[in-house]
Amino acid sequence: MHISYNWLARHVDLEGITPQALAENLTLSTAEVEGLFPFAPHLADVVVGHVLERVPHPDADKLGVCRVDVGQGEPLQIVCGAPNVAGGQKVAVATIGTCLPGDFKIKKSKIRGVESEGMICSERELDLGDSHDGIWVLPAEAPIGMPVAQAVGAGDWIIDIDNKSLTHRPDLWGHRGMAREVAAIFERELKPLASDLPPLGAGAPFPVRVDDAACSRYLGLAIDGARQEASPLWLRFLLLAVGQRPLDLLVDLSNFVMLDLGQPNHAFDRSRISQRGIVVRRAHEGERMTTLDGVERALVPQDLLITDGDRPVALAGIMGGADSKVEGDTSQLLLEVATFAPGVIRRTSARLGLRSDSSARFEKHLDPVLPMIAAGHFANLLRAIQPQVEFPLQLTDAGTWTDPARRLSVRPARIRSRLGVELSDAAIVSILSRLGLTPKLQGDQIEIQIPSSRATKDLALEEDVVEEVGRIHRYGNIPTQALVGDLTPPPADPRRRLVRKIQDRLAGAARFRETIQYSFLTDSVLDAMGLAGERCVEVQNPVAEGQGKLRRSLLPNLLEAALKNRQRHGQVALFEVGKGYLPEAANAQGEPMEIHTTAAVLAWPAKASQGTALEHLHAVARDLLLHLGHDLAPAEALGDGHGYPAWLHPKKRIALRSKAGGQVLGFVAQPDPAVQQKLGFDGDVASDLAVLELSIDRLLEEPTAGYRYRALPKFPEVKVDVAILAPDSLPGSEVMTLIEAAGKGIVVDIELFDQFRGEALGADRRSLAFHVKLGSEGRTLTDKDNQKFLDRLARTLEAAGAELRRS
Amino acid sequence: MSTHDLNHEALAAEALARIGAANNAEALHAAEREFLGKSGVVASLLAQIPSLPPADRGAAGKAANQIKGRLQAAIDERAAWLETQAIESDRQGLGFDPTLPPPRIDMGGLHPITQVTRELEDLFASMGYHILDGPEVERDYYNFEALNIPADHPARDSQDTFYCKGDHPLVLRTHTSPVQVRAMERLKPPFRAVAPGKVFRQESTDASHEHTFHQMEGLVVAKDVSVGHLIGAMKTLLAGIFGKQVEVRLRPGYFPFVEPGFELDARCPFCQTGCSVCKRSTWIELLPCGLVHPAVLRAGGIDPEEWSGFAFGLGLSRLVMLRYGIDDVRHLLSGDLRFLEQF
Repeated sequence: MHISYNWLARHVDLEGITPQALAENLTLSTAEVEGLFPFAPHLADVVVGHVLERVPHPDADKLGVCRVDVGQGEPLQIVCGAPNVAGGQKVAVATIGTCLPGDFKIKKSKIRGVESEGMICSERELDLGDSHDGIWVLPAEAPIGMPVAQAVGAGDWIIDIDNKSLTHRPDLWGHRGMAREVAAIFERELKPLASDLPPLGAGAPFPVRVDDAACSRYLGLAIDGARQEASPLWLRFLLLAVGQRPLDLLVDLSNFVMLDLGQPNHAFDRSRISQRGIVVRRAHEGERMTTLDGVERALVPQDLLITDGDRPVALAGIMGGADSKVEGDTSQLLLEVATFAPGVIRRTSARLGLRSDSSARFEKHLDPVLPMIAAGHFANLLRAIQPQVEFPLQLTDAGTWTDPARRLSVRPARIRSRLGVELSDAAIVSILSRLGLTPKLQGDQIEIQIPSSRATKDLALEEDVVEEVGRIHRYGNIPTQALVGDLTPPPADPRRRLVRKIQDRLAGAARFRETIQYSFLTDSVLDAMGLAGERCVEVQNPVAEGQGKLRRSLLPNLLEAALKNRQRHGQVALFEVGKGYLPEAANAQGEPMEIHTTAAVLAWPAKASQGTALEHLHAVARDLLLHLGHDLAPAEALGDGHGYPAWLHPKKRIALRSKAGGQVLGFVAQPDPAVQQKLGFDGDVASDLAVLELSIDRLLEEPTAGYRYRALPKFPEVKVDVAILAPDSLPGSEVMTLIEAAGKGIVVDIELFDQFRGEALGADRRSLAFHVKLGSEGRTLTDKDNQKFLDRLARTLEAAGAELRRS
Repeated sequence: MSTHDLNHEALAAEALARIGAANNAEALHAAEREFLGKSGVVASLLAQIPSLPPADRGAAGKAANQIKGRLQAAIDERAAWLETQAIESDRQGLGFDPTLPPPRIDMGGLHPITQVTRELEDLFASMGYHILDGPEVERDYYNFEALNIPADHPARDSQDTFYCKGDHPLVLRTHTSPVQVRAMERLKPPFRAVAPGKVFRQESTDASHEHTFHQMEGLVVAKDVSVGHLIGAMKTLLAGIFGKQVEVRLRPGYFPFVEPGFELDARCPFCQTGCSVCKRSTWIELLPCGLVHPAVLRAGGIDPEEWSGFAFGLGLSRLVMLRYGIDDVRHLLSGDLRFLEQF
């Protein structure tokens, strides 16, 4: 919201308070000031000129050549095309070198052969209005040569206040409320406001029937004889300063009163409302109306309407209707000043996406006492400008409102303890008094009177009063205190510890990059992966079409990230620790089960020489699990019973199972080749691709063997290389079991170091080569042990349909 | 001197010359093999001895062995010299350019949000704070109602909410604050807790707006907790974050779940006189905080007459951006290696 310094000064004496000091103090005590800027700074550069004469341009019918006195040296010769410029006028002159809005710099020029030494400005050129009728004619008394800003009193500062910080302060949505704060902060008096109604005629009040409690108060003031004309300069400048375009007096006054007191109001053309009067009611099913902005709106029964019985004339508290708007010389007006239930206004405004200055105020919960003050204020302002207006009817005052002002007892001791500052009772009383809360100290309590302007919303509890005292005393004056207390250290958090270990191992030893991804999935990725039908938590209002589903697994987004990165990088190694959301496992409150997982993706060019991505990621996974203290069962295919994702390669998937608990903790796999292609791993970014997923929840359930040191060998160990020709039907894990059995008690380690197939070996056989380390804790092994191991291995392999290849 | 001796001398001279000329280990080895090897020249001299007249055999043997000894010594000397030479030549560092960069090896790394979160978790844990988690798909009750934000409250406007489909009123949590009441339900006062995590806002994204980001909620409930305690705790926190004492100021801020509520500004740690980070104001708006509203304490089953507390919400994403000077919030969750590799 924009607050004008000059406008504030109408309500409180600002002598000696700079705009900067004002902004700073409001920020520290009241609401966040987001900006402070001068109003129409170019008006300081434009000067008052006196048109001495205007003669026709020799070569152009529509142009005139003026001699203009700007109070310095010879009068200037200025070519001007405006029809309304005439000798004797005071005008706004932009001399050579002046910069106008839109970065428009005035230069000496020749117009149709006649030299022009400046520009006579229109309001529009000075960004003061849309009027294109011609040049801006200044008041006759404007001193020649004076900057226009000074001559017309337009020098002002605009204080931009963050609306969010006013959410709870309906009283601050107008200048007077803000001035009340300034008065409290700087210990000054608030100037009185002339708000008593002028004498009213004897006519019966205009009939108003309030059928719904959502309208707490409806004041109707009949006004006759108002003329349509431009507003006086002071009014136009104040409106312009806060960003309102002046239109005509009645509209401007209505806006002025809203921005002055925070009370929206609306002027109807009384002659266009049925004489049976106003009925405030909810909309009927299927009812429609066209609002002032020309949009036809479909209404629902929760919408509150101002009607003239049958026809809606306004969407209550939000916007007037097009049919009853004040146009031309409306001589019979009805000024509506009302209060409405904030929730009702808010719901309709949100549903229609129609926010107005009016609805923004009503949804903050306005004071029902305020309409009477606003009506009086409006009437007095209008009468001061147009003394001929009359108020022919008695005031209509309908609705079941009650004055929200009330008493509250607060404990000064409590205020001191909550703020943590030693403030005397007298100091507290002084602050509360400056805020208009009329405090009375009674024993250990202070009795305060909450005025209606503060009572609808933010002042209700003792804590609210703590805030009042704190902000005026200034939080900066509260001394820092250290927390003390007997605190037991928080219990260990196994999951957090586990997550850190995973992150450290993957980002450290394995040299993967950690990423954090969106929880949302993209439908196109789901389609490519064949997951479009999967049940997901879904939001009603996604940021974009096709991004409404929440992930069950981290992998779809990781694959998408891998693809994007592969366009720039040879190798992509990414992992994430995060949550998946499973709607089918929701609790009684409907909260989906949130599963904790880690996932990784490894991708490099398809024909790399470093072995396969799957092998590498498998090694990373085993290292990680061992590092976490899980002794792993021999690698095995991820079987149908394990609930693996359907988009994995049908064969190239490996289950990760712990030896101790026997659970499958996760898997490493290659995505199905068709899925890879659909995802776009194709052409330049064709990749050897592998994925890893591990359940952190299962890892936590699983018993860990823990790290156990293995004594270093006391006797030398022997490394034996064995090459084994094995049929595909014999899994590698079984070959390794046979090796272990053949050297029972002396096999210390088995490492696969080569595998190959070839025509010479036969179609369904491959050669596997292992380094086998033999050793004993009790003695040095001899050739005999070695030989015995090889002989036994040869025999057991043969029995299993394999063959030990002797070199 | 006999012709024999002359032959021996010539042989020795030639061998010594060859050994002396050997410029590397291979050449020296070759010379060693040729002269001292199994079928080398010295061996053939020795082999000739049996065919000499017996009287000459002693002298010939002696002469051959003498040559053998001389040659062996020369070879050893040459070998030692070559080794010294090799070390010297290595020391020349021929072809080594210390100004060339090493090969690029991506060493992996943690996401900056993880790094900063860990620092803060460690800092808070050291001060006795529990580190808590809460659901990201959250009940409307915890996200709003329990925090003193009933339906139709205008504060809901500023938190553009993702609403979930289905029969239950669920949202994607718009802040980490729902963990406040969850914590009160679980922990007995007095306690201190922080809850880092992901939060969601339904808004269009640009360099400074993102629909998914990270926050850390803080909550302290104890006897007679005051604004002074809050200021003290925030100063400790900021000193931990920025590694130095940071001047702070509190100013009024409105959040329905605290009363009084504040915005905490920190003196810009990057400048003295105003910079682009602090928008030339020398203050950075850093975190909203306040004393816990009695309605929130009651929602958590805690008697506000007996206990009081303070709460704060730290923007982790914002803090990461501040620390590293990141100009576009969307980089954080982009998964772009060009970004991630910098941390």
